[in-house]
Amino acid sequence: MHDGVAAYVLGVLDDSEHEAFERHLEVCEQCQAELVELAEVPDRLDELKQAPSASEDDPPMSMSR
Amino acid sequence: MCPVLSHLDGRFESADAEAEHRIAVLYQEFGGPLLRHVRKSTGNDLQWAEDVVQETLVRAWRNSARLQWEPGLLWAWLLTVARRIVIDGRRRKSVRPHEVEPPEVDMMAVPDGSERALSAIVVADALRSLSDEHREVIEQTYLRDRTISEAAAILGIPPGTVKSRLYYGIRALRELLRDKGVAG
Repeated sequence: MHDGVAAYVLGVLDDSEHEAFERHLEVCEQCQAELVELAEVPDRLDELKQAPSASEDDPPMSMSR
Repeated sequence: MCPVLSHLDGRFESADAEAEHRIAVLYQEFGGPLLRHVRKSTGNDLQWAEDVVQETLVRAWRNSARLQWEPGLLWAWLLTVARRIVIDGRRRKSVRPHEVEPPEVDMMAVPDGSERALSAIVVADALRSLSDEHREVIEQTYLRDRTISEAAAILGIPPGTVKSRLYYGIRALRELLRDKGVAG
């Protein structure tokens, strides 16, 4: 169950597992500590998702060259 | 005179008042930071971000056990809940055109001189230096808005393996980012 914490933080667990992990999290201090550690990793990955088109008025340079 | 009803009425009133107070405190404590955070993942869609924040705080408010947590843990949980709501929303609504095809890692880091682009280069480098197995599960789940079981079907490996690789991959990624000074 503990290794679900990464998938939980990323929001990619399937619904039933997501709910099961939420219940597990209530009682597992190890996973609570890992949740805090990993909580901002997805934000770093978001920088990859958004980098090529940060905003509509700011086209990526690789496209305009 | 009906003691049971009047008793219930009294309880409901005070419960409502208490609930209102608690949700007001939640908004005061976390509403602003959470909105700023969520806006980044809604592509600056403010209306959507506000809906996500509201839904997140209502879920927290309904879950009194969570509210006993220390602020760092509660914040981490709120971020995670909000992220899940955004992902669910993105899966439901038609995605923005530029999000239809998630970029490959090689073309992700576009240098435009901004701090975020520099940071994106660092993150892309860190992702590339993971093992193929670890990088693959991160790409096939989070970066493509897919669940564990969807990614497992595509990769042809059991869901439990995806979940486990994701755990070690994300831990490794976090270590790399921390060494490079961009982990949160």
